[in-house]
Amino acid sequence: MVRRSLVSVVDDDESVRESLPDLLRELGFAAHAFSSAEEFLTSDYVAQTNCLILDIAMPGMTGHDLQRELKLRRQEIPIVFITAHRDETVRPRVLEQGAVECLFKPFSERALVEALNAALRVS
Amino acid sequence: MTESANFQNDAPLESSIPGASLESILCTQELRNRPSRPPDYETENRALVALASALADSPRTILQTLADKVFEVLHADSAGLSLLTEDERRFYWAAVAGAWRPRIGAEAPRNFGPCGDVLDHNVPMLFNHWERRYPYLSSAMPLADEGLLVPFYVNGKAVGTIWAVAHDNRRKFDAEDLRLLERMSRFASAAYQTVESIENLRLQMSAREEAETELRELTNGLEAQVRARTEELEQRNKQLTEARARLAEEKLALERSEAFLAEAQRLSLTGSFSWRLDTDETTFSEQLYRIFELDPDAPVTLEQIGSRVHPEDISLLSEKMDLARRNINDHDYGIRLQMPDGRVKYLRTKSYGIRHKDGRLEHIGAIQDVTEHRLAEEALSKLQSELTHMARVTTLGAFTASIAHEVNQPLSGIITNASTCLRMLAADPPNVEGARETVRRTIRDGNRASDVITRLRALFSKKGTIAERVDLNDATREVIALSLSELQRNRVILRCGLADDLPLVTGDRVQLQQVVLNLIRNASDAMSGINDRPRQLLIRSEREEGDRVRLSVQDRGVGFDPQAMDRLFEAFYTTKNDGMGMGLSVSRSIIERHNGRLWAAPNDGPGATFSFSIPCGPGSATGARSLGVIETPAAKDAKRVQRNP
Repeated sequence: MVRRSLVSVVDDDESVRESLPDLLRELGFAAHAFSSAEEFLTSDYVAQTNCLILDIAMPGMTGHDLQRELKLRRQEIPIVFITAHRDETVRPRVLEQGAVECLFKPFSERALVEALNAALRVS
Repeated sequence: MTESANFQNDAPLESSIPGASLESILCTQELRNRPSRPPDYETENRALVALASALADSPRTILQTLADKVFEVLHADSAGLSLLTEDERRFYWAAVAGAWRPRIGAEAPRNFGPCGDVLDHNVPMLFNHWERRYPYLSSAMPLADEGLLVPFYVNGKAVGTIWAVAHDNRRKFDAEDLRLLERMSRFASAAYQTVESIENLRLQMSAREEAETELRELTNGLEAQVRARTEELEQRNKQLTEARARLAEEKLALERSEAFLAEAQRLSLTGSFSWRLDTDETTFSEQLYRIFELDPDAPVTLEQIGSRVHPEDISLLSEKMDLARRNINDHDYGIRLQMPDGRVKYLRTKSYGIRHKDGRLEHIGAIQDVTEHRLAEEALSKLQSELTHMARVTTLGAFTASIAHEVNQPLSGIITNASTCLRMLAADPPNVEGARETVRRTIRDGNRASDVITRLRALFSKKGTIAERVDLNDATREVIALSLSELQRNRVILRCGLADDLPLVTGDRVQLQQVVLNLIRNASDAMSGINDRPRQLLIRSEREEGDRVRLSVQDRGVGFDPQAMDRLFEAFYTTKNDGMGMGLSVSRSIIERHNGRLWAAPNDGPGATFSFSIPCGPGSATGARSLGVIETPAAKDAKRVQRNP
């Protein structure tokens, strides 16, 4: 049996944490949601995660902070940033810093699948 | 012992019994028989010159000089001059030369002596040993062998005698001696008169001087009196002049103050009036005529006033007039005029009644034309309303992104859930239970988005102030919900301490929310540069004494300069590069419109706390004022300026 890729979702917004993992599972991924970067880092899923869907703006440790932290830990997990803050200048900046994609909420299923495919191809 | 003793010391003069008869001691006839010497005119002249010079040099010594000259010219042993005393009862020896010189000043009786005999007979007499008849003369040593006497006249009256005495018989007086003596007597008489007249003159002069002095003193006194009187008059005059000047000044001051008043009335567009309630007699000031645009030369009538009042305000006027007739309290109201050409004027009337002693009631008041103010106020209100809206939009503009975030968040959930739902339903067999769950979440997220939109619409809608019952906690929670992501983005840790028992307040929910939003945003901005401590923000609500509610927003930011405290709430005062400086100014206006207070205080630690406090009760709300606009302090200042031209 083919092991399904694990997609970890880190977002402080509950509705995202509820809805996105369900959709990811429907799309054939394994999914796990975390309400903060800290929670993710302290979990056992860091090493298993094939792709990280990461909210940029979060209280405490932000998405960028987590990206930096993972880099320091040499955990090269492909990251798809998601944000409800539609700022067009953000996308090129995060891509430059090594993110696979940056999706603005609300995003379509197709945009999500494309981003995940790109991320998993990289890995 | 003195030799100038009086004869009375030697014997009682008046009571002396005459011894020898007068005839027995007289030998006057012998003078003619005795061989006469030739006249010695030279000696006589020398004597007379001496007398004259004595008279010229020292008139007071003229008598002594006479005695000396008689003594000298007649070669007598003694010579002298006897004068009657003032009471004419005695003779005194006024001047004596020769042997009897020491007896000068001696006195002898008038009626019992040789001098008296000479005066009685008014002829020259030659005596021989007169002590035989007048024993008291025996005390005059040496005794007189012969004595030659001639009367001495002053102003034709015999007042004494001049005499020459020979103390022994080797010298016998002769006719020449008599001639010389008479001559010198006459001269002496003249000289004496002169002296006397000089004395008199002197006396007169001195009297005159005295009189003059007296006169002078009198005059001085008079002058002093005159001077005093003059001074008094001058003083009175001065007082009068001063009083006149004062009057003139007062008149001028009065005129000036009248002019000032007129000018002040003209400048302030304020007129004054009086209205006698018993006669309806009304008086207008010049400016009031101008305001009412009535003919200043005609007396003003209530009909004229009524014709100028705006038709809609006629009832107001009659109501106020009725009120004025009934009581004398102060009245303060606004009223409109309508000019014949349709122009409307806004007036503010302040008046009060006074009851005169005779019972008459009079109303006195001032009327200000506030049309310009009113129009400016209206323009200002409009501008203010625009500004408030703009400030609101500007303030919220910065939150647009976070508001979008708030909308995007549920939208994102909706779309994701919908996608999941589709997939679950498309599966074989369809995952109906899963689908139902996703639909449930979709609806929830949809409602959430809808709420955000409702709030947004309220915030952006340009509607006037409304008064409603507001739960400040709820309103604050909504603002927090809108701000949360923005705060998170700014890494602000928000803590809430909202009181459970907070009473409702009456006010404009959206405006109050705008204030809370402003305070939260300010707090967040104040901490944007803080990295050495948590960016903690504490929002608290609490009940206050006096039926009030307080909301405070505490940050741990940069704080503010206490000296700038007052300026914090000024419009356009900002410490931010991208701010307009409207936030706090508009906020304070809003709170003041709620009859509340907005203030700032530095924390004990870092940062500042901004709080507002508003009353809960009804009537505390806005909307009491018809304009329904929010005034910034700047706008108030602008009005103040206009009210005080």
